[in-house]
Amino acid sequence: MNKQQSISNNPVENPEKWVDLYGDYLYGFALYRVYEATVAEDLVQETFLAALGSIKDFQRRSSIKTWLTGILKHKIIDYFRKKAREQSIDDIESNVNKLDDLFDQNGHWKIKPAKWDADPQKLYDQKEFIKIFQKCMAELPGLQASAFTLREIIGESTKKICKILDVSSTNCWVLLHRARMYLRRCLEINWFTNSNDKN
Amino acid sequence: MVSESLDRQLPMYQRIGVRIHFMMCKFCARYQEQLLFLRKTAHLYSESSEDSDTPVKLSPDVGKRIKESMVRFLEKHE
Repeated sequence: MNKQQSISNNPVENPEKWVDLYGDYLYGFALYRVYEATVAEDLVQETFLAALGSIKDFQRRSSIKTWLTGILKHKIIDYFRKKAREQSIDDIESNVNKLDDLFDQNGHWKIKPAKWDADPQKLYDQKEFIKIFQKCMAELPGLQASAFTLREIIGESTKKICKILDVSSTNCWVLLHRARMYLRRCLEINWFTNSNDKN
Repeated sequence: MVSESLDRQLPMYQRIGVRIHFMMCKFCARYQEQLLFLRKTAHLYSESSEDSDTPVKLSPDVGKRIKESMVRFLEKHE
């Protein structure tokens, strides 16, 4: 690494550069996980400040970007933890009415899952589909959204998610089940619209 | 139980039960497939914030605010 590079990479000497280099990336990373612009902005700011405070811990073995992303990930998890404290466990039941249960009294499917002819990889290349996925995510009640994001987007274990959200393991399964049920149906209604008659 | 099976390995007897049930209930099997589809979608989503096709940009005002807060932080801790 030449001298020029080492100076521009050193945030203590040049914090502005840091924001220019990694600000957009970190913001995008946060926004895709917390879904609210102002929250994502605050998390990015906290990340930079935390990084400045612990610059001595930075080991050159990893890139600055990787290091900052690691700090941001912790900040995002902390955000979910704080948010969970403000949310009531009623969330677990709160979109049941909207979608109702999967089965009727006789244990038959109320609304049969429609056939989806799609490959996630190809579908994912379509911007419209991403928008619908985001819209469906945004409709999830707080705790369900947190649980699903932690599990499927951040990739935490359910054990850790129970701790972060401070819920019992049974409630954790229920949150994930409800979230998946809702998202599945939401995608079906908003994207796979014509497929209901293909049962 | 289908959702739970995505998060932990079910005991053997339940796994066999689920398999047999899927043979009789095509909608249940389809439901599971779709939950796996959802998982794959979420995974692609998690990687796509970096996607150059749909770049997300920090607004200049916020960038400025963050830079200022960093400068203040450094002044305080010098």
